[in-house]
Amino acid sequence: MWRDAVLVAGKDLRIEARSRVATNQVAPFALLVLILFAFALDVDRGVLTKAAAGLYWVAVLFSALLAVQRSSAIEAADGARDQLRLSGLDPAGIFLGKVAAVAVQLLLLEVLLGVGVVVLYDASLRGVWLVVPTCIAATAGLAAAGTLYGSLAAGITVRETLLPLLLLPVAAPVLLAATKAWQAALDGTPADGAPWLRLLGVFAVVYLTFGVLAFGSLLEES
Amino acid sequence: MNDVLVGYGITFGVLALYAARVLRRGRALRRALEPIDVADGEADP
Amino acid sequence: MSASTPRRRAVPRRGVTALGLAALAASVAAIVQGLVVMGPTENQGEYSRLLVVHPPLATVAYVAFGVTALASVLYLVPRTRRPSWDRLAGASAEIGVVFTALTLVTGSIWGHSTWGVWWTWDARLTAEALLLALFLGYLALRRVPAEEGVRARRCAIAALIAVLDVPVVHYATSWWRTLHQGSTISLTRPDKHLDAAHGVGLLLGFVAMTLIYAWLLIRRYRLEGLESRYEHEGLTLALDARRAEGGLAPAGPAPAADPVGALSPSGSLTRGPA
Repeated sequence: MWRDAVLVAGKDLRIEARSRVATNQVAPFALLVLILFAFALDVDRGVLTKAAAGLYWVAVLFSALLAVQRSSAIEAADGARDQLRLSGLDPAGIFLGKVAAVAVQLLLLEVLLGVGVVVLYDASLRGVWLVVPTCIAATAGLAAAGTLYGSLAAGITVRETLLPLLLLPVAAPVLLAATKAWQAALDGTPADGAPWLRLLGVFAVVYLTFGVLAFGSLLEES
Repeated sequence: MNDVLVGYGITFGVLALYAARVLRRGRALRRALEPIDVADGEADP
Repeated sequence: MSASTPRRRAVPRRGVTALGLAALAASVAAIVQGLVVMGPTENQGEYSRLLVVHPPLATVAYVAFGVTALASVLYLVPRTRRPSWDRLAGASAEIGVVFTALTLVTGSIWGHSTWGVWWTWDARLTAEALLLALFLGYLALRRVPAEEGVRARRCAIAALIAVLDVPVVHYATSWWRTLHQGSTISLTRPDKHLDAAHGVGLLLGFVAMTLIYAWLLIRRYRLEGLESRYEHEGLTLALDARRAEGGLAPAGPAPAADPVGALSPSGSLTRGPA
């Protein structure tokens, strides 16, 4: 399973490296979201600074939507799904591989957005040892749930509108928990963030496990 | 008190409307499928 | 179900009618209890009457989604896979959405009485709002046309993904509104002393809502079966109708020409062509 995962992850990341969709489209989009927030909210920088954690994670969420759409679109073209199914790769491995590829892209985007938030919103990123695990746990969960839904919706023509409707409610608690954890870190009270981090961990574990178990069933559909 | 009445009204009203909709559609479908049921001897013509 | 096998009913027709009448009776009793017998309380005045509808609606909504989840699991397990589980899942989810929406409306009214605004970010209400979103997505997925087995499996997995989120949502929203909040703004924090009339009202409300759900579930489930049959056999009927129009003898007894309109895009209970 793990070897298949590495194989699939490598494939997805190589496709990304060649097409550069994440760097050329998703990253600018993410930064754009940060800028739009500044227009929407009072540029009295107090507001932006105070809300920095939440705005950051909303931007991450929207970027995750795009990344997941892209990840499932890769297979939708040219009947690659059937080839994937027939390739004999372990479906659980395929799942983990796709999750890993999405997660890597998301983590890089998060670093970029982190810089953006520090520069644009005058946020001070304290409590790194809470901030970083939060990012990892939240990313894992988002990537897992997103890949599940992405694959589920892959064969559907209305995928572009359906996928956000499916994914966002599931991702809502991740947004909440990640924001709270970051808020605790930025406020200098990291102990408050601990339960939220644990919740993120549980979410990630639950959806990774479910994906490993159910992905084979998802691929089955013609 | 008015609010409460509105609350009760919406609750039972919506439930009744939904029930009516389910029943109506069921009746229409059963009527539409009747020819096949008659042919199978399941319904009386 | 093919047209050649006799339809077995899980619940006999007379039983369903009896259930419906029971639900009606319980509803009347609950309404009477809530509006007439129960008196206003000192904490919440008249609004405590909403105790008869709001908590029962919320609970039954969760039960409905639980049924959807269970039916989805039963569908996915190869040994128990049957189309009836998929139909049950869909029926229960749609009813669950109705109940959840009503929960939000009654909760909003109740909150308005205490806080003067139409929405407070009460933990339970927010969780219910997310629940609504989760299952609206599921219903949207159900409407996407596909081969029946494919659709059923896809929806079953989607239901489970959504259901796995429910406990997470529950904890997240309740921590959100209690950690470092002064007092919990909770709609359903009961009055210290629920007098007997209120207790009975709550109980009647639960009974009524449960019976209503059960009755709706059976009828909606049957409707799913009818829709499915119509999808498969409706084409034959339409062809016969066209033949009749053209003056040719129909293949079977002359039917009404597509009276239901299910073969063209129509109301939302139809899985019409995309």
